[in-house]
Amino acid sequence: MLTVLISGLASGALFAAAALVYNVMFSTSKVLGVQTGQTAMLGGVFGAWFIRTFHFPIPLALLGSIFVGGVFGFLTDLIAVRRVLNRSDEHLWLLSTLAFATITQQVVALLWGTEPLPFPRVVPQDFSAGLLDQKYWLPILTALALAAGIELFYRRTLYGKLFLAMSEDPFAARARGVPTDRIRALSYVISGAMGGLAGFMAGQLTFAYFAVGITLSLNGFIALAVGGLGSNTGALVGGAALGILSAGASYFIGGEYQNTVSVGLLMVVLLLKPAGLFGAQVARPV
Amino acid sequence: MPRLNRKSITLAIVLAVLALLPFWVGNRYQLHIAALIGIYWVLIGGLNLVAGYAGPISVGHVGLLSVGAYTFAIVAGTHGVHPGLALVLAGAVGGLCGLLLGLPSLRLPGFYFAMSTLACSLIIGELALAKQNLTGGGVGIAVPGFPAPFHTPEGMYWLVLILGCAVTWLTWNVARRMWGRALIAVRDSVVAAQVVGVPVLRVKLTVFVFSGVTAGVAGALFGSLQSYITPDTFVFEMGLFFFVCIIVGGRGGIVGPLIGTAVLTMLPELAAPLARLGNCLYGVLMLLVVLLVPEGIGRLFETLMFRLRGTRPVSMPVKPDLARLEAAIKGRRLVQ
Amino acid sequence: MTLRLIAFSLVLTVAGAASGKDKEPIRIGWLSSLTGPQSTSAIAENKGVEFAVEEINKAGGINGRPLQLVTRDTVSDPKTAVNFAKQLIFEEKVALIIGPVNSGESLATIPVVAKEGVPNIIIGTVDELVDADKYPRAFRPINTNRQWIEAANEYALKVLKRKKIAVLGDTTGYGTSTAKAATAALEKEGIKPVYTALIDQNKTDLTDELKKAKDAGADVVMPWSGNTGFMARVVNARGDMGWNVPIVGHPTVMAAPLRKLVNKPAYLDNIFAAGYSSMTYDDKGHLPKATKELQEKIRPKLGGGEIDYSFWWVALGYDTVKLAEHAIRAAGGTDPAALQKALENTKNFAGVYATYAYGPKERNGFPDKNIVINQANSFKDGVYRAAPR
Repeated sequence: MLTVLISGLASGALFAAAALVYNVMFSTSKVLGVQTGQTAMLGGVFGAWFIRTFHFPIPLALLGSIFVGGVFGFLTDLIAVRRVLNRSDEHLWLLSTLAFATITQQVVALLWGTEPLPFPRVVPQDFSAGLLDQKYWLPILTALALAAGIELFYRRTLYGKLFLAMSEDPFAARARGVPTDRIRALSYVISGAMGGLAGFMAGQLTFAYFAVGITLSLNGFIALAVGGLGSNTGALVGGAALGILSAGASYFIGGEYQNTVSVGLLMVVLLLKPAGLFGAQVARPV
Repeated sequence: MPRLNRKSITLAIVLAVLALLPFWVGNRYQLHIAALIGIYWVLIGGLNLVAGYAGPISVGHVGLLSVGAYTFAIVAGTHGVHPGLALVLAGAVGGLCGLLLGLPSLRLPGFYFAMSTLACSLIIGELALAKQNLTGGGVGIAVPGFPAPFHTPEGMYWLVLILGCAVTWLTWNVARRMWGRALIAVRDSVVAAQVVGVPVLRVKLTVFVFSGVTAGVAGALFGSLQSYITPDTFVFEMGLFFFVCIIVGGRGGIVGPLIGTAVLTMLPELAAPLARLGNCLYGVLMLLVVLLVPEGIGRLFETLMFRLRGTRPVSMPVKPDLARLEAAIKGRRLVQ
Repeated sequence: MTLRLIAFSLVLTVAGAASGKDKEPIRIGWLSSLTGPQSTSAIAENKGVEFAVEEINKAGGINGRPLQLVTRDTVSDPKTAVNFAKQLIFEEKVALIIGPVNSGESLATIPVVAKEGVPNIIIGTVDELVDADKYPRAFRPINTNRQWIEAANEYALKVLKRKKIAVLGDTTGYGTSTAKAATAALEKEGIKPVYTALIDQNKTDLTDELKKAKDAGADVVMPWSGNTGFMARVVNARGDMGWNVPIVGHPTVMAAPLRKLVNKPAYLDNIFAAGYSSMTYDDKGHLPKATKELQEKIRPKLGGGEIDYSFWWVALGYDTVKLAEHAIRAAGGTDPAALQKALENTKNFAGVYATYAYGPKERNGFPDKNIVINQANSFKDGVYRAAPR
């Protein structure tokens, strides 16, 4: 029983991290990019590659993964989002980010193959640690750290406040001289870096595998919706809920109904509270 | 007596070309692809009313497609019911699922609705796998074909063509009339539509159920064309594919998504000789289309037609009719 | 004079046409899932297929006619597989089709190909793929799921003398159907598994399920999945728990990529999987002659060094083309009915992977006795050692 809880929390932590990435991207661009999962995938794949092939020490590989994630985020903004946002059709970014995600996934598959590759130990630890094994705790701690970091960023730094300004009213922000394009690019770089970090820390759970992206984008989105768009606490709670529900459904009912139960229950939550558990009911001007 | 203008002549020619397709197309493989495009269009034509006109993005229609396909396979195959009846039943079940899905979810704003359709398709996929006695589980189930005259590849194509035309005609009529405007109003500004008195939820639900019916019918046809279905066939990417066809074709039109469907279905086939690089190329092409032709291919087509037609835009100067205005004001004063 | 000229040119034309027909390449369609998950086996099989085609063409082709391989990447998608199958038949006009590689796709394409009467050499393992009446021209050189399951069950029950079985499968189409078939096979022997579970192959940690199996009293774990990540997690969970029971199951559990994914090399102990006598080396490290020969011939194409994936994939790919060659030679051409007859009459075709035998009602060519159980931690150069008996 405890195992279900802990392993559910661990996988849920990765979903929560993805939801956090979505939040940061959404705050400045109102875009929910499908390529979010790929940032974590790249973090895992590159991290494993740096350590295995180039024998980087762990901290350097971690920085490398964060850097790769950030670059990926920047490219996402440049290629898939910037031009599209200027157009009238609001849902075009779904397509462009989807296309970008597909391309990334295929390129990784071509370069690294389609077999999952091993992700090495980050902290030296014996494997018999059971529930205290780092593969559970690294993602959980990372998700918590990311959420705390983002909150600090929003409240204490100027750039964070600029993000908040942009998310509340981009026109007003621009009128005040905020370079919205550059801020948006920055938010994508940050969200990409976050995803890379999360992917690196969760690598021992997922292995370095090219197909991690799409399912993670999906699950991250579910976590986001349940927790409430724009809320970081909500992202954590939503991710934890999804993770534990999935693990519980698989344990008690069977893997064939895992999606049915966990996603079904979440649908019920959404029906009862459409804005999500912690989402704010935004009053829109009409 | 229908007017014999340019539009109806073009339409007649297009229909004739399509009807005679089995004869001028190169081989049965191309016929198969044409039938597949037609089947996708039956689903996308219905979905077009939802996503193209009314607005809510549904990425889970693949679930309704699989419901239609499995219903047809089980009813016509396992239980031996006449395929025509099974086809109708598949459509009905699809519509019912559309109702069940739409009723709770259509109240949700755009992203959440998309997600609930997605969740629905995942759940349907799992149920198809789990209920082995009904659906064959992982091994799948064979799907019977249609009786004469639709049992040959040509016959199958003509059945698809007839149904495709029916769907097109239905959606075109809806689009042209008040309903269509109501849908566009709902898509562009829900609040304004409500203010004007459009029953938003009922409108959305009606078109969603309709799209469920077309998806169910498309599913039955699809299963029959494939002749064997497994849960693996109905992957989430297919749901995205349908939506992509509409966007690439251009929302708010019918010809656009039709062209979009045709292009996107043929794209993997054309990229086939590239083997491993093909899939990557598909993503690149999609990205290019989105970046370069974001209004959709339909708009491109329309602009082209407009240019070709050669009509000069008539400038209509607006000049107030001062005399009449004066009279009206004077008249009012008198009444008051 | 004119008459002789006409006669001469007629002879030339006929000869030219005849020789043109003789030199006309034999087109073979190859449906493989070269991208998409688990394409490692497909890529390895592809190497075998391409090498065989190259080898045959270097030796002058079949009766002077070169072989032309038309490859299509099905991306592990049944719809794409069906589309490409039709493309190969109608547009590329191939003489026969090899593949697809996965059972999921094969279930969809085999009826389609059979409807057009095109001979099909299939390499999916699900038992339902083959039917001498419904699909008379579909012949299978790879073993069947039943053969794997029976060999594994025999080893677990008779050799390891275990009675309390835990059956695990993943939630893909292949995993669910194979796990259920394995359970049914066990029940036929009078054994009811103490624990069965179907687990999503993307689930990142399987400690829960293994613990449940342990609590149920299982003394052997039998996993049935083609997914490397899934199998790796089963092995890791067992090892991390310190639970010392044998694992006997699907060949993927001893596949080379898995060796890198286990937390400790020692976790590979006490794992046995279904394998092949042609891919087993004896105590002196010697392989069957045909296997060794192919290994040495193809090694440069595989990178030159040690082969670090299961060699049977390569050998299987190689054999499919050789089987096609054998059929075309015996039939004297590519007439589909003649090819069918030729394959039906094949009693003893010695390939590298196995020696195949078909019959008028028999479409599975792999002999039961060529299945052995291998020891997972004995992997060397693409082959294994037999498990102790």
